[in-house]
Amino acid sequence: MITSGLIGALLWGVVIGCIYILLATGLNIIFGVMKLVNFAHGQLLMIGAYIAFTVTTALGLNAYIAVLVAMGTVALIGVGLERFTFRRVLGADKLNEIFVSLGLIYVFENAAVLLWGNTTYQISSPLQGLQLSLGQDVAISYDMLSAILIVIVILVALFLLLKKTKIGLAMRATSQKSNASMLMGVNIEKVYIFTFALGAALAGAAGALYGILLPFNPAIGALPTIKAFAIIIIGGLGSIPGAVIGGLLYGIAENTAVYFLGATWQDAIAFALLIIVLVIRPTGILGEKGE
Amino acid sequence: MSRTFKNSLGSIKREVVNFSRSQKFYFLIAAIAFAAILPIFLTTYVVSEVLTPMIIFAIYASSWNLLASSGQGSLGHAAFLGIGSFVSALLAIKSGVPPIIGLFLGSLLSAAIGFLIGLTCVRLKAWFLAMVTFGFSVIIVTIFTELDDFTSAVLGFPTPLIVGRGLPFYYMTFAIAVISIFTMYLVMKSKIGLAFKAIHQNELEAKMVGINTAKYRLIAFVISTFFAGLAGGLFAYSIGYIDHSVFDPYYSFLPLMMAVIGGLGTIEGPIIGSAIIVTIDKYLPRIDLILGSLIGREGLIPLFPAVSSVGPPLRMLGLGVFLIVVVIFAPKGVAPLIKKAYNYLSSSEEKPK
Repeated sequence: MITSGLIGALLWGVVIGCIYILLATGLNIIFGVMKLVNFAHGQLLMIGAYIAFTVTTALGLNAYIAVLVAMGTVALIGVGLERFTFRRVLGADKLNEIFVSLGLIYVFENAAVLLWGNTTYQISSPLQGLQLSLGQDVAISYDMLSAILIVIVILVALFLLLKKTKIGLAMRATSQKSNASMLMGVNIEKVYIFTFALGAALAGAAGALYGILLPFNPAIGALPTIKAFAIIIIGGLGSIPGAVIGGLLYGIAENTAVYFLGATWQDAIAFALLIIVLVIRPTGILGEKGE
Repeated sequence: MSRTFKNSLGSIKREVVNFSRSQKFYFLIAAIAFAAILPIFLTTYVVSEVLTPMIIFAIYASSWNLLASSGQGSLGHAAFLGIGSFVSALLAIKSGVPPIIGLFLGSLLSAAIGFLIGLTCVRLKAWFLAMVTFGFSVIIVTIFTELDDFTSAVLGFPTPLIVGRGLPFYYMTFAIAVISIFTMYLVMKSKIGLAFKAIHQNELEAKMVGINTAKYRLIAFVISTFFAGLAGGLFAYSIGYIDHSVFDPYYSFLPLMMAVIGGLGTIEGPIIGSAIIVTIDKYLPRIDLILGSLIGREGLIPLFPAVSSVGPPLRMLGLGVFLIVVVIFAPKGVAPLIKKAYNYLSSSEEKPK
């Protein structure tokens, strides 16, 4: 591996945190605009990893171009999901949304098993094995660096999209008050589809990066969903800067905890954090507006 | 507390009297008689591998349903199934407690832990609650596997027998199920159940009319986890072997599927759902063989070269699609459809004239 020891754990925490940030931001946008929690969001990450893997192995595409392909394909899947499942249960009983996303977890995980098998893969990147030395005993691989860079680029693009474009304005208006923005002439259905596709695309990108950095199988989706959830609760619902800070904090905390306590406690720690935050602030740290 | 308790006792009494005069009562008697006579004509395999799990999961799904009727959709019920099964089996093996008493001690401990977890959950909104309950199930399985020296959860261990396998165990489970499900029915029909419904529909409004929502949600948690633990104990004895796989998220999602597919918030829903899902579970894994014989000798395997056996993932995929379709197109589950079909048939018989 790369650097061992605490500094290695911290570096790795930052990189993993970046992937979680993408996932959490997607979840956050969807929640902010549609007031919908998609528990199958992590499964979109898993599908993204498989699509990037298939594209690189079957077509011989560069792994970093495959990130774009994964984003596009998963966004299309997102459009289908919004149109055919979530739109039909939106706004009714909250439990129904949870049930539909659980059904989707089953569908995605088992479709992945049927299509790609139950084996573990990793996407081979052109930068594999290369690393940048940062001094004695400390080195960072180029794959990790480019993952961080890609996440930064995506987040900046997302920020510009939300702040400078018309659809971004419509999304922000809808997230504040969907009825009022409908009366102001915003096409809510279009905004919902776009939002869901955007969130799915972010999950797809996160999945492709995950696949480059870590081995994956059809079952990897469940935990990242929960971690992304913990991040948006730590960082505040609806806030992108909050998700960035929360994601970095979370990635670092998780990896240092694993470094000190051992890997068996990794998931339990994730939940313990989530539960502690929720017990102190039942609606999340910044609370939930509207509703 | 004592006044509400007395009130609800009174309403339960009234409910029992009403129930014994209603048409439903005869349906119930008929269903019980049917379920009691049916296994005599079936093979031991069907009784112990299909009917018994159906009944155990009917208790389990009913307990989940009771919690969901108060608006709390738990995604971590496997924690209580696991606690019930491990505690009752461990008590029986390590300290020689008679299994039947162990069963109830296990359910009591499950309810006690349900009370503690419920304390943290009662103020949470739907999706936070779902996450937190799922989180607790992960934490509890981590604790059980870390305490492996005491629990032997990693490799598992065989459970003792309460009564003989096959018919005797079936009848014991059946008796426990009738009592448990009837108890849950009474709770849901009493004033407590009315409060659950009010909270489910609109918690804020329920609070405004003076319902102590936190208290009632906690009551739902304790009752539900008690029966989940009971189902867990029965589950451990029915499969004869117990390990940490009982904590799998699969077992957390199972009661949800059963209750939702059968009909959420009704008493018959989880039972019908359990019958449907267990039947699918036991017979659908052979779908690749059946489809294979229809399509050709090789069946579906050439279509999916990546997997060695197509059946299990295909069945789970089908369950997922089934759940989504039910939620979207029949949000009240399958039970009302059956009722509708029955009404349609009985009314069309009278019509021709």
